[in-house]
Amino acid sequence: MKQAERPGLHRWTRHEYQRLIDHGFLDEDDPIELLDGLVLVKEPQHSLHRTAVLLVAKAVERAFGEGWFVQTQSPIVLDDRSEPEPDVCVVRGSPRDYVDAHPTRPALIIEVAQSGLRLARGRKAAAYARSRIADYWIVNLIDRVLEVHREPARPGPARRHWGYAAIETLGADATITPLAAPSADVRVVDLLP
Amino acid sequence: MRAMASYEPRTRRFTRAEYERLIDLGVFQPGEAIELIGGELMVAEPQGATHYTAIRKTAKALEAAFGPGWDVRTEGPIGLDHESEPEPDVAVVPGAPDDYARAHPSRSALTVEVAESSLVLDRQRKGSLYARAGLPDYWMLNLVDRVLEVYREPAPDSAAPFGWRCGRSQVIDASARVAPLAAPGSSILVSQLLP
Repeated sequence: MKQAERPGLHRWTRHEYQRLIDHGFLDEDDPIELLDGLVLVKEPQHSLHRTAVLLVAKAVERAFGEGWFVQTQSPIVLDDRSEPEPDVCVVRGSPRDYVDAHPTRPALIIEVAQSGLRLARGRKAAAYARSRIADYWIVNLIDRVLEVHREPARPGPARRHWGYAAIETLGADATITPLAAPSADVRVVDLLP
Repeated sequence: MRAMASYEPRTRRFTRAEYERLIDLGVFQPGEAIELIGGELMVAEPQGATHYTAIRKTAKALEAAFGPGWDVRTEGPIGLDHESEPEPDVAVVPGAPDDYARAHPSRSALTVEVAESSLVLDRQRKGSLYARAGLPDYWMLNLVDRVLEVYREPAPDSAAPFGWRCGRSQVIDASARVAPLAAPGSSILVSQLLP
């Protein structure tokens, strides 16, 4: 059984998680995030990963333009037990709109994944789908492709957990249009280091 | 896909000092049954009547077997190592309650966990943790099979969750008797422990 899947682990609420930060147990700069009540240590950042994050941020900033902003590796609030820090997400409005509370529903979330590919496709995809994130992309650095996840779907006979019903894998030569920026074209090659 | 070390997400670990501070600060909800096991915060299962009865019966039997000079604790914390503070169902420690007014005991002469089906895995993890800490006498009262499993002589084992396991284990039937290592003159009927 995977380490973080064991049922007996204590699940933190967002309120408790905030207290851990307030009391100095966790630093805001620590590479951690709260997902499904588990305080997870994030994938180690290699220079390749960081480069991809910067490239992705630049590309989606250009694609979305005015009225949106792009945040990298910053917290968003999904529910009472999840406060993840996606590599890149696109949020409506301006940073000042979120002085008092983290954004809750980004229009687009992008994770850059190398060794953390399984987490990105598994637990993270389930958490994002459950929160009805409509557009979730994984920049897969191993295969140099973009995995586009859409149509969040609830568990049912066909699936055990929340997940995405439409998953498409795009090669470096393809282009993709974000759901929330229908007139933009993002070239996959521009997202890859 | 090219071969690549896969990153298994792991939870943030806590030291025992951090854990004790979290308790002092009241970060956990009151009544949350939490233990620190190898740096991980584990939640105990809700306690059923059978489970609790087994704990009480075991405590009474051990009090009679050990006599004065020992304290029989139920669900009390043990400051086992720098990343563990378990709360065994029953633990026998030398001395009297006042001896531990300032700090939890760090070792127990006898440690007992009561196990129902679903938790056998977690109990085995605990057994490995207790072995690593050198606890000499660990009993698992198995309510499903109605037997007592006795684990002794901790020994290194790289395949065990915490690198240690008990070198000698014995399954004792309800109709048989057992003597704790630290109270060799006593004799406890296993059925006396079972609800």
